[in-house]
Amino acid sequence: MNYNTSQFKNGMKLMLEGNPCSIVNNEIVKPGKGQAFNRVKFKDLITGKTLEKTFKSGESLEAADVMELEMQYLYSDGEKWHFMDPASFEQFDLGQESMGSALNYLVEQDTCIVTLWNNNPISVNPPNHVILEVTDTDPGLKGDTAGTGGKPATLNTGVVVQVPLFVSIGDKVKVDTRTNEYSGRA
Amino acid sequence: MSKVKKNLREYQDFTRTIRDFFYSRQVIEVVTPSLLEAPSTDVYIDSIEVLVNQALAKSSKLYLHTSPELEMKRLLSKGSGDIFQICQVFRDNEHGRINSNEFTMLEFYRIEFNIHQLMDEIIELLAALGSSAPTKKLSYAQVFFEYSDIDILNSDIHDLKEITNSLGLNSDYEWIEDIQMLLFVHLIEPKLKEIPICLIYDFPKQQAALAEIHGPTAHRFEMYMNGTEIANGYQEIQSANDYRDRFNTELNKRKALSKPFEFLDHGFLKDLEKGIPKCSGVAIGIERLYSLLSL
Repeated sequence: MNYNTSQFKNGMKLMLEGNPCSIVNNEIVKPGKGQAFNRVKFKDLITGKTLEKTFKSGESLEAADVMELEMQYLYSDGEKWHFMDPASFEQFDLGQESMGSALNYLVEQDTCIVTLWNNNPISVNPPNHVILEVTDTDPGLKGDTAGTGGKPATLNTGVVVQVPLFVSIGDKVKVDTRTNEYSGRA
Repeated sequence: MSKVKKNLREYQDFTRTIRDFFYSRQVIEVVTPSLLEAPSTDVYIDSIEVLVNQALAKSSKLYLHTSPELEMKRLLSKGSGDIFQICQVFRDNEHGRINSNEFTMLEFYRIEFNIHQLMDEIIELLAALGSSAPTKKLSYAQVFFEYSDIDILNSDIHDLKEITNSLGLNSDYEWIEDIQMLLFVHLIEPKLKEIPICLIYDFPKQQAALAEIHGPTAHRFEMYMNGTEIANGYQEIQSANDYRDRFNTELNKRKALSKPFEFLDHGFLKDLEKGIPKCSGVAIGIERLYSLLSL
């Protein structure tokens, strides 16, 4: 199936240069004396890169068979990360290069969004907020408390997040996965 | 005061400032017909057709003007001297965030001006409207050198197709001017978003429209404000023959694209028999200007 520029809208998944892409922004430009164009910003769903293309109005692109499914993260064997669709019990696995920043936030049994292209997983989005455990950080309220009031803490996934001074090892903290910021105690 | 009333007052102050600007320079305000007997010949500007006098059994087709240009040029040919007009214009197949089937246009003509004098006057008008933003002025060739590595005036259609291919863009265009515009929209316009006021002049001759051609370029300019096209001006061609040639070029393109309305405005060409005086003129999109000035 093809979509014409007049049908373009944000979030639409289309094939571009062999890769599935998502429309991030679609701007119609009609020069006073020229024909109408669509200047479109895409996100390549495989590489994560942003692409800008300009089409003459009326051009069309092939739809990408992309689905976003809620799945459960099962485990990692070190090479692959394994997920399960709780509806079909079908299992999918992804290599590290496709995991992106999801690596930093997923603990076993967590639910996340896995993007499938032609039924193959291509990327993982963790929930916006996850609860992780502090495995290492400087102890207590040491030193200057009047400053920015932060210190680095290593969490059980290995990710390092700035936390307030009162947080200590073993505490559970809530992290915003979009910004990698501490957003409260859990 | 109600919000509506406040907005109406503000817009009135804006148009009053424009009118005062021209009155003080002895530029005469004119009103020309908006219902015309011939449609626009521009390949990419579509007129809106209206059927009139059906109940009188004298049914005929008329066309809403897409700009007051030709009617104002009729006045110039009759000796009007400097003139300006603020009016509604209508275009079919224009619809979007900053496009509409109806919008307001300021159009003015200045006798003996070249485009640089006209651009200077536009800057003075913007100053009168309260804009003190810095202005950047570049030729069409310069703007391509500055924001890409394309030598736009010395690239033929094959060179430009190679460039569009390398950018992963469709290069299926029949006319070089369309690829020039594609590259402008794709590579240049996004860069102009950072510039409050940018004047671009000396367009490639293939994009002359109704501007005098001199060598590889035409005496045409456009003004962009924060990446949005606001104004389009020419040092005007003067003779009826030149107009006939330019109209025919556009009509042939309309035919090639199977677009409707492929006929000439013979009345205009006849009225222009003696030509128009040497002058420069410009059309400015008022809604866009107003919204960008009040940002």
